[in-house]
Amino acid sequence: MLTRRIQGQKGVQGIIIVNSEGIPVKTTLDNSSTVQYAGLIHQLVMKARSTVRDIDPQNDLTFLRVRSKKNEIMIAPDKDYFLIVIQNPSD
Amino acid sequence: MAQVEETLKRIEASKGVIGTILVNAEGIPIRTTLDNSTTVQYAELLCQLSMLARTTVRDIDPQNDLTFLRIRSKKHEIMVALENNYLLIVIQNPCE
Repeated sequence: MLTRRIQGQKGVQGIIIVNSEGIPVKTTLDNSSTVQYAGLIHQLVMKARSTVRDIDPQNDLTFLRVRSKKNEIMIAPDKDYFLIVIQNPSD
Repeated sequence: MAQVEETLKRIEASKGVIGTILVNAEGIPIRTTLDNSTTVQYAELLCQLSMLARTTVRDIDPQNDLTFLRIRSKKHEIMVALENNYLLIVIQNPCE
């Protein structure tokens, strides 16, 4: 399965799949982390998507990478879901 | 300042770079290669998005902080580097 292949990558700390309502449907993290990530990232993705569309209504968000001091969060949005992968790029 | 100029020129000369905007801590664009209205629009929208991304990172871990943001869309990619409350925005066409 896709998540197993990603999970097997070096440095991957967690994978969460969130549906269009922002509800996590699959996760490799504990419950409270999952809920926190899902909620916060759902908001961020919605804002990123509207930013792209405000600049050009014909354009659309395809990927988002949030790099911080400690790790990197990658988000691949799809029509009905989005895939969140948290990785430590230093590993 | 000369070093900043050089770095910006190097980025601007890179293949596929459509534009660069440097925004100061007050959210005011201080340097740009794009026209005025586009610059103002990008600066405003990306400041807002960067602030939300930063809040997201800090809510998850208060000791952590946002360093970089990459927004990939169908038509191009916007990269935002954050340092000392300044934003460096680079818009590139990754296909070129």
